[in-house]
Amino acid sequence: MKLTTIDYAILILYFSFVIGIGWRLRRSVTTAGDFLTAGHKVPLWITSLAFLAANLGAQEVVGMCASGAKYGIMTAHFYWIGAVPAMLFVGVFMMPFYYGSRARSVPEYLKLRFDEKTRGLNAIAFAIMTLFSSGISMYALGRMFQLILGWSFDASVLLSAVIVLVYTYLGGLRSAIYNEVLQFFLIVIGFSPLSILAVQRAGGWAGMQQKLPDVMTHTWKYLGHASENPMGVEAFGLFAGLGFVLSFGYWCTDFLVIQRAMAAENMSDARRTPLLAAFPKMIMPFIVIVPGIAALALSKAGSGYSLPMKSPGVYDYDQSLTTLMAQFYPSGMLGVGLTALMASFMSGMAGNVTAFNTVFTYDIYQGYIRPKATDAHYLTVGRITTVVGIALSIATAYLATHFNNIMDFLQLVFGFVNAPLFATFLLGMFWKRTTGHGAFTGLLLGTGAAAATYGLTLAEDKGGWIANLHSFPSTMAQNFWIAIFAWSTCFLVTIVVSLATNPRPDNELRGLVYGLTDKPHETGINWYQRPVPLALVVCAALIVLNLLFL
Amino acid sequence: MLDLRLPSGLFFAITGILLMIYGIADPSRAPMTSANVNLYVGALMTAFGLILLLLARRGRKA
Repeated sequence: MKLTTIDYAILILYFSFVIGIGWRLRRSVTTAGDFLTAGHKVPLWITSLAFLAANLGAQEVVGMCASGAKYGIMTAHFYWIGAVPAMLFVGVFMMPFYYGSRARSVPEYLKLRFDEKTRGLNAIAFAIMTLFSSGISMYALGRMFQLILGWSFDASVLLSAVIVLVYTYLGGLRSAIYNEVLQFFLIVIGFSPLSILAVQRAGGWAGMQQKLPDVMTHTWKYLGHASENPMGVEAFGLFAGLGFVLSFGYWCTDFLVIQRAMAAENMSDARRTPLLAAFPKMIMPFIVIVPGIAALALSKAGSGYSLPMKSPGVYDYDQSLTTLMAQFYPSGMLGVGLTALMASFMSGMAGNVTAFNTVFTYDIYQGYIRPKATDAHYLTVGRITTVVGIALSIATAYLATHFNNIMDFLQLVFGFVNAPLFATFLLGMFWKRTTGHGAFTGLLLGTGAAAATYGLTLAEDKGGWIANLHSFPSTMAQNFWIAIFAWSTCFLVTIVVSLATNPRPDNELRGLVYGLTDKPHETGINWYQRPVPLALVVCAALIVLNLLFL
Repeated sequence: MLDLRLPSGLFFAITGILLMIYGIADPSRAPMTSANVNLYVGALMTAFGLILLLLARRGRKA
């Protein structure tokens, strides 16, 4: 792939707007709250799009396109089953506690609801996780631009890190959120033409159905048994593992996305943030997954395009997005597409860095290192944390170049951290009897159960370091089942330990637990703007989409 | 406070116009399509950018 002057011009134009937004927002930051929580003053349409975009990193875009080519339209389950229901749940049921408790972060909610040790465990696990995610994002960016453009790895990593540093340092969370929205627009405009052109060339959806095996163009038909579909999962594993544990664990408890909703101006907006984000989320498969399926159809049809091979007979699916761009985009549009890729890599980093900032400053520094300093002091700490966080991300990116397998393992460990957490929140928010000891023990043992499941089962040569009791048909099935075991263990242990320990009195739990909190009254807005009707509209649209691609 | 519609609108309008000019001036096409992708996407982008700018202007008056 070769870039020309116009492509570079677009890339540079984008960078200057990104930095310009940070520069213009620098004056909106006068307190630590402005810097770390955007002062609860971000308009609804911006929080909604940022809620979606914070998760739409480049690994997601590239990875979903690759999965489209590998597994077909079934990949859409990651959006329709694996995201939308959880987004509705967090908006309708959980946001009243996050926003209403006045907590500044998810770990801080754990402190208010449970105790110091539960918060500490979550804050530290989350801080490490965000640093690694941000580093992996940088590493992936460096490798990709090295592969497709021949840029130096060092130069891409340093350039993107410096740009992210400048705009997050200047404008804090607000600047990160604003740029995520710009990036979201760019992804949609940069990639939807690719989807249209590739599908058209492959003979439309009907033509693709003809060229491909039936399993690639149906979402539900082949879910009866794991052996019938290329994902190697069956309906139960998909629903319980992906649709329940992993998706609710991510969308309902991961501070990276919750932080966007918590930046909204009021409770009503905070609740509507994930609900409104669910609409574009449902449509994303047509922009990021469908091009992958078209790439496979084009390869099979001998149209002149073929997915590159990893080894004879084995496609390198990860290259489907970039090779399609090279075939369908002329200079100019190619620049737009690459800028969109670069932008999503950077927003992946910025999202993690801003979440890391807030958790480190409020939950670790203010919690354990210096509890009673002035606001100006925490603002300074927040800014320094930004610089340190990005430096550590760069270090992680370089670590990844040396230990590729370790990164695989670490990513798995992160799954261990998030999967049991949703059990803790579900019990904590909806069962007032849940105690701090219960939550803490449940989390620890739940994570242990995840590690044990990984150690006792094998899939595609992964896991099984203790013994091999069961073999899964795919690592995806293994991941789903690890999540199911981790969640169930945490759920049961938390209940048992809670019943054996002393509960907190009701008056301390007001605003933190369902049943002890006044239901938020949505006054002064139209019925169609209220959370529940909105969620029902999303559900109806979701059912229609699934029926269309049954 | 900065209205985000302003810089985003400006960015897409400028990029869109650049693409349209390039699409008209440069006759070369991508390997697998005969469509003038730059011209069409550029026009869409410009329209999107202008809509954002218009909304920002109305927001300021209100």
